[in-house]
Amino acid sequence: MPLEILLIFVVAGISGIALLLHLLGLSRGAVFADEDAARAAWLREFPYETPGRITLSSDRRAALVCTDRGTGVAWCLGADTVARPLAGADLRATEAGLRILFHDPALAPLTIALSAPDRAAWQNKVRFA
Amino acid sequence: MSDQLTYPDVVSLAVPFFIVAILVELAWIVIKGRGGRYETRDALTSLIMGAGNVASGIVLGFVAWGVFMALWRITPLDLGTAWWVVVLCFVLDDLRYYWVHRFGHRIRWVWASHVNHHSSQHYNLTTALRQTWTGTFTFMMIVRAPLILLGFHPAMVLFVGGLNLIYQFWIHTEAIGRMPRWFEAVMNTPSHHRVHHGRNARYLDCNYAGVFIVWDRLFGTFVPEQAREKVDYGLVHNLGTFNPLRVAFHEWIGLFRDIAQHGLSWRERLLYAVAPPGWSHDGSRQTSDQIKAAQLERHPEDRGGPGF
Repeated sequence: MPLEILLIFVVAGISGIALLLHLLGLSRGAVFADEDAARAAWLREFPYETPGRITLSSDRRAALVCTDRGTGVAWCLGADTVARPLAGADLRATEAGLRILFHDPALAPLTIALSAPDRAAWQNKVRFA
Repeated sequence: MSDQLTYPDVVSLAVPFFIVAILVELAWIVIKGRGGRYETRDALTSLIMGAGNVASGIVLGFVAWGVFMALWRITPLDLGTAWWVVVLCFVLDDLRYYWVHRFGHRIRWVWASHVNHHSSQHYNLTTALRQTWTGTFTFMMIVRAPLILLGFHPAMVLFVGGLNLIYQFWIHTEAIGRMPRWFEAVMNTPSHHRVHHGRNARYLDCNYAGVFIVWDRLFGTFVPEQAREKVDYGLVHNLGTFNPLRVAFHEWIGLFRDIAQHGLSWRERLLYAVAPPGWSHDGSRQTSDQIKAAQLERHPEDRGGPGF
């Protein structure tokens, strides 16, 4: 197949499928229904680190998870979830909440929506966990 | 001995078929409300990874081709181009695929390239296209050397490799349950390959087959899909990104960071590259064997069952 034709197929195919998925409503991000959903997301990645206190973000797309081994965060990524310990990560306050830098190439910086009081509470929990 | 032999670039020719099949699967899922899941950014990432794989083949394909032609020039054997030679080449190349794929899960240097294929938490036809950009750097092309030295022309070897890749496209779906028993016994199927993409302890490191599942049965790596344990797709620790660059290179960056740590012996640095994924010098991480052992410690009733 000539390269130009292949390129047209690839570009049109990728664009068309992405547009179709979006129009079908398949771009909606997941949220944690409650603390139990966030707990399940944590246990899915760390089945032997039992979560204690769970604190949901204001948009329910992330949760602070306290375990006997330290503090971590579970968050929604697309339709699914990811979880990681916060050890070694940098937390920075932003106008919208918190930004977490994991120093892990497998993880993009994570922005968590929090009100100002919640932001301070999260930072305290991380500091004293 | 012939140097000039050409076969069609079947993977490129299959691109329109890939697009149509994805649309059919998507329509099935939307209309029936079952048979899998799609999410826009996940699918987009997979499709971009597929396009990047084709591009990397165009840019870096000369490396493997150069190696293969050098081998072809030194071998005294030439099996010709009869149809049965192509069939034999296809079967032996599938055996080659089994071992390359097994190395891809058991040697971190090769896993660094292959990990992206397992990085989606979805399992649909776009996942099949989530292919590596860095395969050339694993040097796994050398596993094809015996085929060429046996007298299979490099163009034929690449042709059957393309057919192998196309076969594996349709097995990346939840829309198909089980195939007829005879087919499940011999061929790789959606059921067998769903297991391969599982992050459940039971399903780690099994079902490496490309086309013929008999290789897994032969080499003791076959695990059947369990009705009582649904496959959880993705990585042991899932990626927190849809960025194709992170998907393509994160494990390479992690590998080189590990190798460059202060205070390691040369043996430890080497093991960070060649030991199974999850190996660490201080035991702070888990390999798949250790994950399975931890599972059995807590669930001894699983011992001796499929995957353990």
